[in-house]
Amino acid sequence: MAGSPMLKLLVSLPLDLLRGLYRFVHRLSTNKPGFVGFLGLLLYFFVTFIMPDFVEFDNEPKLDQIAGPIGSRIQLAVHRDNPQWDSLEALAGKTVGVVDQTGGPSFIEPWRDTLAIEKYRWTSRRQGPGIPAALTDLANKEIDGLLIFSKTVNQVIVEQEDAELRQLFQDNVIISNSTLGPPHLLGTDTQGRDIASHMVHGGQILILTALIGGVIATMIALFFGSLSALAGGFIDKFFTALANLFLAIPQFILLVVLAGIIRFDSTLYLGVIIGLLIWPALLRAIRAQVLSLRERDFVEAARSLGLSMNHIIFREILPNMSSYVLINLIFSITIAMYFQIGLVVLGLAPISDYTWGVMIYFGRSRGTLYNPDGASMALSPVLAIALFQVCLVLFARAVEEVFDPRLRSAG
Amino acid sequence: MLHDQQPLATDQQPPAPNLSLMTARLYDPLLKVYRNYTARVFLQAIITIWVVMTLTFVLVRLMPGNPVDVLVEQILTAEGISYQEAYDRIAASFNIDKDATPLDQYLQWLGDLLRLDLGTSITSPGTKVIDEIARFLPWTVFAVGTGLLISFVLGIFAGMPMAYYRGSKLDHILSFFSSFSTGVPNYIWGLLIIIGPGISWRWFDIGALRGTYDVGLTPGVNAEFILSALEHAALPVFTYIIAILGTWMLSMKSSTTGVLNEDYVNVAEARGLKERTVISSYVGRNAALPLFTQLTISIGFVLSSGVVVEEIFVYWGIGHLLFQSITVRDYTTLQGVVLLLTAVIVFSNLFADLTYGLLDPRVRVSGEK
Amino acid sequence: MFRRILLLSALLCALGMLAFAPVQAQGDTLSVAWPYQVPPTGHFNTFASGGIVLGQYQDLHEPPLAVLMWATGEYAGMVAEEFGWDADGNYVIKIAEGNSWSDGSPMTADDAMATFNIFRLRGDAVWANMTGIEKVDDSTVKFVMSAPSSLTERIILTTNLRPASVFGDIADRAAMMSPDDDGWNGLLQELTEFRPESPVSGGPYTILPDTITEARLMLELNPGGFAGDIQNFDMVQMWNGETEVVTPLVANAELHYITHGIPPTTEEDFANRGIDIVRSGMNNGPGLYVNHAVYPLNLVEVRQAIAYAIDRVQNGFVSLGESGVAVEFMTGMSDGLSEAWLGDDMLDALNTYDHDMMKAEELLMSVGFSRDDSGNWVDDNGDALAFELTFPQEFADWSAAAENATAQLNDFGFDITARGVQFQQHPQDIYASNFEMAIRNWGLGDPIPGRSYLQAYNRYNGQGELAGEGGGAGMNFDNNISFSGGMINVFDVSNASSQGTDASAQAELVSQLAISYNELLPAIPLWERYTNNALNRNFISVPDSSDSVFANFGGGADNWMTYLILTGVTAPADM
Repeated sequence: MAGSPMLKLLVSLPLDLLRGLYRFVHRLSTNKPGFVGFLGLLLYFFVTFIMPDFVEFDNEPKLDQIAGPIGSRIQLAVHRDNPQWDSLEALAGKTVGVVDQTGGPSFIEPWRDTLAIEKYRWTSRRQGPGIPAALTDLANKEIDGLLIFSKTVNQVIVEQEDAELRQLFQDNVIISNSTLGPPHLLGTDTQGRDIASHMVHGGQILILTALIGGVIATMIALFFGSLSALAGGFIDKFFTALANLFLAIPQFILLVVLAGIIRFDSTLYLGVIIGLLIWPALLRAIRAQVLSLRERDFVEAARSLGLSMNHIIFREILPNMSSYVLINLIFSITIAMYFQIGLVVLGLAPISDYTWGVMIYFGRSRGTLYNPDGASMALSPVLAIALFQVCLVLFARAVEEVFDPRLRSAG
Repeated sequence: MLHDQQPLATDQQPPAPNLSLMTARLYDPLLKVYRNYTARVFLQAIITIWVVMTLTFVLVRLMPGNPVDVLVEQILTAEGISYQEAYDRIAASFNIDKDATPLDQYLQWLGDLLRLDLGTSITSPGTKVIDEIARFLPWTVFAVGTGLLISFVLGIFAGMPMAYYRGSKLDHILSFFSSFSTGVPNYIWGLLIIIGPGISWRWFDIGALRGTYDVGLTPGVNAEFILSALEHAALPVFTYIIAILGTWMLSMKSSTTGVLNEDYVNVAEARGLKERTVISSYVGRNAALPLFTQLTISIGFVLSSGVVVEEIFVYWGIGHLLFQSITVRDYTTLQGVVLLLTAVIVFSNLFADLTYGLLDPRVRVSGEK
Repeated sequence: MFRRILLLSALLCALGMLAFAPVQAQGDTLSVAWPYQVPPTGHFNTFASGGIVLGQYQDLHEPPLAVLMWATGEYAGMVAEEFGWDADGNYVIKIAEGNSWSDGSPMTADDAMATFNIFRLRGDAVWANMTGIEKVDDSTVKFVMSAPSSLTERIILTTNLRPASVFGDIADRAAMMSPDDDGWNGLLQELTEFRPESPVSGGPYTILPDTITEARLMLELNPGGFAGDIQNFDMVQMWNGETEVVTPLVANAELHYITHGIPPTTEEDFANRGIDIVRSGMNNGPGLYVNHAVYPLNLVEVRQAIAYAIDRVQNGFVSLGESGVAVEFMTGMSDGLSEAWLGDDMLDALNTYDHDMMKAEELLMSVGFSRDDSGNWVDDNGDALAFELTFPQEFADWSAAAENATAQLNDFGFDITARGVQFQQHPQDIYASNFEMAIRNWGLGDPIPGRSYLQAYNRYNGQGELAGEGGGAGMNFDNNISFSGGMINVFDVSNASSQGTDASAQAELVSQLAISYNELLPAIPLWERYTNNALNRNFISVPDSSDSVFANFGGGADNWMTYLILTGVTAPADM
């Protein structure tokens, strides 16, 4: 009996939603920057929420690939006499050298059956550093090929202090294939790990936490801000005083103390605590906005018509602030993102979640910014966050226009 | 519930308290203070400051590590002497009254404060906290104030055309710039400025620009000193501007967008007023109003948000003092700096509250007559 | 409106252009760096905290009595031209004549008397074995000892001499009193609040108080001071700041030598700019500490398995590049000290715990542990080997070591969660036993081997009474141990090993410490931190890196750079 309206709803709701979505996207597509922002956000969603299932987090330190430049990859070094050996297939049956602790051993693993593999210790007290030893063997044709990282081979050859050895390498060793293996799209970090894979895995938690934090802060600010502006009297005084108090509490000191007592391992908790810490400034801004709006003609008109408070808030005031609130929500999200870096420093956010925030923090503290090849570790996540904000701003504006017909005509 | 109370009617007097004549006379001065809006908010501000102060007093002592421990660890790391040696040396060079309970310290501190005495530094015995603040505060006020003002003004003027020519190429470029630049934290901007123009292109000597003015100049109103001070402040100011300009632009744009749709703007246009007049007298003025609130609020924030920028450019101000006193757990200095920041935040908020009604005649702050 | 924007932008650009000041030409100036505090916090009382003390460069201002040459183990006299034990077991030093302080007063025995009397007032450890100090003649001072000790000798000789003309008054009054006297604490407070008006130097360079800014300070040549007549520079420019702040100046060639620990990626950039990286051992580095109250970390087999499971070479390299040198002998002191104090036979007998997953596996199996279905270890109670590993987040190299050790142990089948802790909180956590696994330092930047063990057996173990409120049981290791060589109290032995002056008796005690540590691994040393001083040889001329002076510690006492300056070797490079 009760089934039929339910059933109706079940059928119509998805249809309505789809129709609404279609209309929304359709309208959006007429607004070019908004559409770009929308596509950008979709891309972010795809990269950070779907791609982690397909891209493995690179957790293997590779000592010869530390701070590798963008696009760098494994290379195949051979003797000058044999430039035709430019692939592992061509080397079938030959001896290929790899140095342990580098990218070589794991890369060559599938070729174990067709190649003879000669391993070199990365460094040893007796034999010294492994890469020069391997290059010496290659120059002397004791091995036929050597898997080595692009940047390292250059360093070992050019910066070789022993002039005799340097000459030996320069005379005998060439790179026959410089494009072996997948390239490091964003270079490698201070442990020789692929930054691109970290970027894919590091966004999800950061974005979720920031969204939770930003939305909570905005909701608190919006609700209590408009409430105190409209209600006035004691409520207004209370929330204004509370916001003023929160604004004045030294947050860093509070967090240092908190860090000694509690540990936040859940994204949700982290988001909530961020939201609880960044709302006060927003509340004041929104309260001021509402104070100004409530004296405007259309609100006065609505009031004199005896329309309910709900109507005034939700139909008259909020829509007119949506632009302002949206832009502040976006700022709050970005603030929440960078807030997490601060929490990493204090140990409130676990570093086992290798987020963009952790990357920025470690990238900066491990001095990568001063090295053009390594700067990607800190700059990639910074760029990602900044561009995320650009997408949000563009998209938010488009949404505004879709929902606010006056803006469309004005534009 | 809300509309029962007629909360929107601000022109009503609060009901007169039902008190006998005697008591009324007794409480009269107090009531007068309470009824006086300005006096009341001032009282509220003082109470807020006191609460934050007390909270700070407790929090700094809850922070892990006390001043002795912190210096012991520093020495152990830097000089490689034994724990015992380091501890003995530090403990002796402090003069902490070990018998004083936290409550004694608190009362002592409050008492001193009433006499406008912030006490002396723990980690540098004999140095007055007020002297430390006086040494560092002016530079932060100068650099942050300049940065904030320039970015605010630039933001106001750049935000308006963005709203006015909504959807134009100008709007797109400025929108991209503003949302991107605020998406990068100020210390990254600072480091990039040092690394790009400083190291790679060698436009300037990084070291020569450090500090607040050149050695050998006398602070005062003389051209040499002012030029030197401007020169040394240029990089931090530039960093502050880049990092916050976008916020003002975007806020101004959204605020202007709202105002542009107001009826009075259309009316003004219909009346045939010159576009310039409409823009400056109507749109600009009204759109900038909510931003003034934001500006006053951000003053307190920005004072302390420049910590890392001040460190990077070695332009030491109050942010450095804050950072330094947290690092070495110098309780008294820390309390002094936090008190200062609190006072700035609270009074700038107060200022915003008091002036908002003046700036926007449509708003009557509730309770104000 | 647009015109106004243009105007403002023009103003802004003008402001920016001011910044592009011409490059200042420097004469013969030595450009180095050390973080210091500026006035009013910073001051010239080097006995009180907050004083402007320039790290090892303080030697240039307040010269040391002597410098230990690490390559030979001999002290080279500086201000003290003669020094040694007398027949009664007291220590005697003779201050070199002919030097004067920058305020004109001559450098005499009075200065040493003042310095050490103030140490007594402060309660410094040097007085632990001393009963008194006597002025024999104008240049000779006798330290009266309760028991001779090579440790006390070292502390005396590495002391920076302070001027009696500044501190003599307080020192003389302290000499008359005993700690039980009423005025003692008042005098101590007077000392901490004492603010000399200007810095007085007895070394080759004097701080110029007017030049102190947060950016840098200058020291000018002090011709009458110690070694003032053999200097090759007119000025020393001391830049202020920590690593991140001084890095751009090195890259920019405004700063020519730093002792700050620099991250490997930065080091690479410096190398590309032709800046030399100088490495010398520091006798310490990060180690993996475990809480012995947490089962099964108290089992020696588990700790040995951890040592086998972590590739220390990899760990060191990803953390500090070539300056993160894996510990080989695992004796609780540096490999250099092990080689110097243990014979070859003993070194060969030590277990070097080379990276070996199979050995680690066998060890865990031997105590009844097994792998579960997913390949993770469970102990004999069926519990997973899940621990939290904490580390001080701000220390770039230690945080990298922690991150990497965690990854390696998890590869082996542990379940470790790494967590960064604020660096001031972290040691407190360790003292209070509030940890499971942690990265802290092993060893000490000191050539006396017994002191290396103070970290594991004292600082991080049972530190309760010392650290005050933050105290606790530390890592809960029982210092009464039994090993293949018998039963000893490791803390007592490590203290005893730096007492007396008989090197062979000391070596015997050191070998007990080394062997027991190697067997029991109370904490697992990961790698030794070598310095990676950036030295721009385009501006500074010092011997090339094969010189034996580079065996000296690169930071703190015995620093090779200050030794070379005090001996007049460091010079401007010929451009």
